[in-house]
Amino acid sequence: MSGIVLEDVRKRFGETRALDGFDLTAAEGELLVVVGPSGCGKSTLLRCIAGLEAVDDGLIRIGDQDVTRIRPAARNVSMVFQSYALFPHLTVRENIAFGLVVREEPKEVVRARVAEATQLVGVEALLERRPYELSGGERQRVALARALVRRPDAFLLDEPLSNLDAGTRVEMRTELRRLHREIGATMLHVTHDQVEALTLGDRIAVMDAGRVRQVGPPDELYLRPQDRFVAAFLGTPAMNFLPADAARPFLPVPDGTVLGVRPEHLRLVADGVPARVEIVEVAGSDAFVHVDRGLVSKVPSDGRPAEGMQVGLAIDRADAHLFDEASGARVEWT
Amino acid sequence: MVSGSLREPGSAPPRTPELLPTPLSTASYGRAFDLVDLARHTLNSLIVAGLTVPLAVLVASWAGFAFLLVAGRARSILIGLSFAALMVPLTALLVPRFVLFRWLELTDTWVPLIAPALLGLSPFYVLLYYWSFRRLPPELLEAARLEGMQPFAMWRRLGMPLVRPVTVAIALLAFITTWGNFLDPLIYLFNPDLYTLPLGLRSLEALDRTNYPVLLAGAVVATAPVVVAFVIAQRYFLHEDRGAGWLGR
Repeated sequence: MSGIVLEDVRKRFGETRALDGFDLTAAEGELLVVVGPSGCGKSTLLRCIAGLEAVDDGLIRIGDQDVTRIRPAARNVSMVFQSYALFPHLTVRENIAFGLVVREEPKEVVRARVAEATQLVGVEALLERRPYELSGGERQRVALARALVRRPDAFLLDEPLSNLDAGTRVEMRTELRRLHREIGATMLHVTHDQVEALTLGDRIAVMDAGRVRQVGPPDELYLRPQDRFVAAFLGTPAMNFLPADAARPFLPVPDGTVLGVRPEHLRLVADGVPARVEIVEVAGSDAFVHVDRGLVSKVPSDGRPAEGMQVGLAIDRADAHLFDEASGARVEWT
Repeated sequence: MVSGSLREPGSAPPRTPELLPTPLSTASYGRAFDLVDLARHTLNSLIVAGLTVPLAVLVASWAGFAFLLVAGRARSILIGLSFAALMVPLTALLVPRFVLFRWLELTDTWVPLIAPALLGLSPFYVLLYYWSFRRLPPELLEAARLEGMQPFAMWRRLGMPLVRPVTVAIALLAFITTWGNFLDPLIYLFNPDLYTLPLGLRSLEALDRTNYPVLLAGAVVATAPVVVAFVIAQRYFLHEDRGAGWLGR
């Protein structure tokens, strides 16, 4: 296994800058999740690493090898596509063995590696079926087996869970995590789903407009976002933002800053800043309380206020984030 | 046509529509084969079609796949040229083609009949293949590229198996075109031993112009292979049943 290094990678499509000076390092054996909104360049990033798109500028290294200008097959990476890209006319067995057969590996090697990969992802019973006879989750497993069988230096996963229903997605997320632990491979996983990113990654890279905004462990990104974009992107419901004037009833906020507070940290108290409850959304054990100040509070369902009620709001300074109003960069409390 | 061919040779056409003639007779078929060497002409047509159709399918599919792999502007130019070629009437090419084949001393051979297959027989077939290959999810070819598959292997092992109904349809169209081709054999073939079936039918008509049962028997012989080919082919392109999710969509 090898790590992946990208230095100042640039890729344009006409006037659109898909990757705009992109820097990222995935350590050997790391599961790094790249998360960002649709159209931010995530898939282009994977395609550039795989060699399916030629970069305009910059450097891509896999292990010790500079792979920036070499053909896809020579990079020894496996990619799992969003649509799985299983060959519909081949059986599951033939799909999994495909890469080895193309490389003309001996039959015994193909047989042994296919058996190993199918056992790892649990598709032994499906080997003679064709992809259109499989469920979404089963196709996903077969796609993973096809990626595994070649023992690549790194795995590139392009939104592999996005076509699955909610239940299967949760199951496959755990499965991916288990698989990563078992094989200890370097994996670069791309998704637009922040929950998937937060639960799956050793580290997360938040991406926007072709650049990395912040890289770090999930809890670091959630608890100490380096800018307003990262703060807003991670977390459901999104972080509340209050301009300095609107924030002052809660905390002494300096001019030229914006106060950010996550919904779970916007507390409902008896003697807080007064507000009227407009809408209450119940989501299982939690309820999202929308108040007339344009804020959302996350409270336990069993302690939720009724719509139309007057409540008091409070924010602890320890839970509040400050961002520069102009640049959006994090500002530390003084 | 079948009903008329089952009348006695030399009998006049019926005055009212007639499903089954009385008496039923297959003598017109015997007479047709006696007058003209229809068996020889049928064999010739089968040889010409047997060489032309696979060659046309091969070249058209190669060209269509190449269109898919060629990037951006070059592809647009190729497609534009194909459309332009499609708009040229075949009759406009008769004289230059004849001059060319005579210069090559290939007249009175089957080469001029088979040679168009080296260009895919028609630009329409090339474009049809291109459109079919374009419908395939691009990730399939990208996955193959990542595994190190070369373009020819992609065409053979991925492209062609995934557009099989299109191949059957194009093969059938090419067969019908070649089988019914009257003009080219008329221009290029002089030796009766090389005549194809449409020229045989013309000979039949010249020899016994008013013997309608015999002429219709010849027409049935000429039509039957096309009908058989269609019946065999239709199950491939009318009953394509691979369930939802074929092509992963």
